[in-house]
Amino acid sequence: MATARQRLLKEYKEALKGRPEDTGITLIPNETNLFAWRAVLRGPKDTPFEGGKFELVINVPEQYPLQPPAVRYRTKIFHPNVHFKTGEICLDILKNAWSPAWTLHAVCQAVLALMSDPAPDSPLNCDAGNLLRFGDTRGYNSLARMYTLDYAQAPVAGAGASS
Amino acid sequence: MDAASSGAQTEPAPAAGAPERPSDEEILAQQNLIRAEQAQRSEYVGNEEPLSALKEEYINGNQNFVQKISKLESAYGRFRRTRGDGNCFFRGFVYAYLEGLLLGRDTAECSRITAVVQGWKMRLVEGGFQELVFEDAMDLLLDQVASVSKPDSGSGPQHEQLLINMRDDTVSNMIVMFLRLVTSCEVQRREDHFFPFIMGMYDEPPPTVELFCQRFVEPMGEESDHLHIVAVTDALQIPVRVVYLDSSGHPGGGSGAGGADLDATVHDFVPDACPPGTQPRVHLLYRPGHYDILYPR
Repeated sequence: MATARQRLLKEYKEALKGRPEDTGITLIPNETNLFAWRAVLRGPKDTPFEGGKFELVINVPEQYPLQPPAVRYRTKIFHPNVHFKTGEICLDILKNAWSPAWTLHAVCQAVLALMSDPAPDSPLNCDAGNLLRFGDTRGYNSLARMYTLDYAQAPVAGAGASS
Repeated sequence: MDAASSGAQTEPAPAAGAPERPSDEEILAQQNLIRAEQAQRSEYVGNEEPLSALKEEYINGNQNFVQKISKLESAYGRFRRTRGDGNCFFRGFVYAYLEGLLLGRDTAECSRITAVVQGWKMRLVEGGFQELVFEDAMDLLLDQVASVSKPDSGSGPQHEQLLINMRDDTVSNMIVMFLRLVTSCEVQRREDHFFPFIMGMYDEPPPTVELFCQRFVEPMGEESDHLHIVAVTDALQIPVRVVYLDSSGHPGGGSGAGGADLDATVHDFVPDACPPGTQPRVHLLYRPGHYDILYPR
């Protein structure tokens, strides 16, 4: 626990130095609980998520960094590797390929990379996965775009104001 | 054998609606429960036992093991089990090494390893690891070295403390984690040297040493192979002897009929920079899938 806190404090200081305009990542620690973070990701260019603001909920376990943070989307997103209802993310580094060499910021980078490069063969959202697997990029893009416009454009609530 | 693939297997999926599955939190809670149960059965680092206790495990089983252990008894009197959690090599290695420093009162080696570990700080940063990722773990390892090298009236309490530390979830695992990062960095620094090993070792070889390290070296609980041992012993310049104990019989093929002349295979991992004839500082016993610590007579 002390180790996790120590490590998170360092990541917090790093987060303050972050340049969201370059990275597309805004990491927001909870002012009263160092183990509860949020992040806002800017939808990557040349994807149906472009221009969207996607909020992640990050819960850090006491065993961090030996165990991975639990990360899910709060913003609804249509993506093969994200559960449409719960926002859960299928990403190996959040599970069996986790290593303490990853930081919360690096995890956000990996999630951004997943938005650009979906892995339709291990889908949590079978509808999105099937569209891509059968080569219907147009169908996938238009659905994903629709949900981006519907859910991800709204300005995200400010720091600490989440319910 | 651990499943190497991640996430959901691709079954012909139902047309609509995701199937019910446990959430990440539930999976994590389940894994923690399993770990807790395992912890009750065995410590990260167990107590010393006579080698005869090992032989008893096989007395009604494969006699090749029994023969080999009987012969081992002339060189090794005792052994110490480590928990089979995929970190057994790194944990056994570092515990046996620190214990050796403590019991050998080897202050020169303490200074050497301290300098070597501190030297890794720069290499890790050069290798792309953020300092905040490894510095706490590195300090924990250096703390252990410092405390075993402290002049003390007797080794009893220090020995006890080392055991307590290496059984502690955080201290023990953070040190294992640090060794994994050093191993990863060493493998990536010497990519040309290590790449051929990766090619030969996996059904689907990772295409780069970087990916290999991210997937098979850095994550906790990934089992160690020959490659990991070569890399970490080179990185820290600590010679290790591994005694391989398996059920194999005579190389000629005849099984067991020829009396008690089966030997466990011994392999020394001696870093190139060590002078010839350097004695191993750590002795480990390998049985397929697991490493324990051996104590020479």
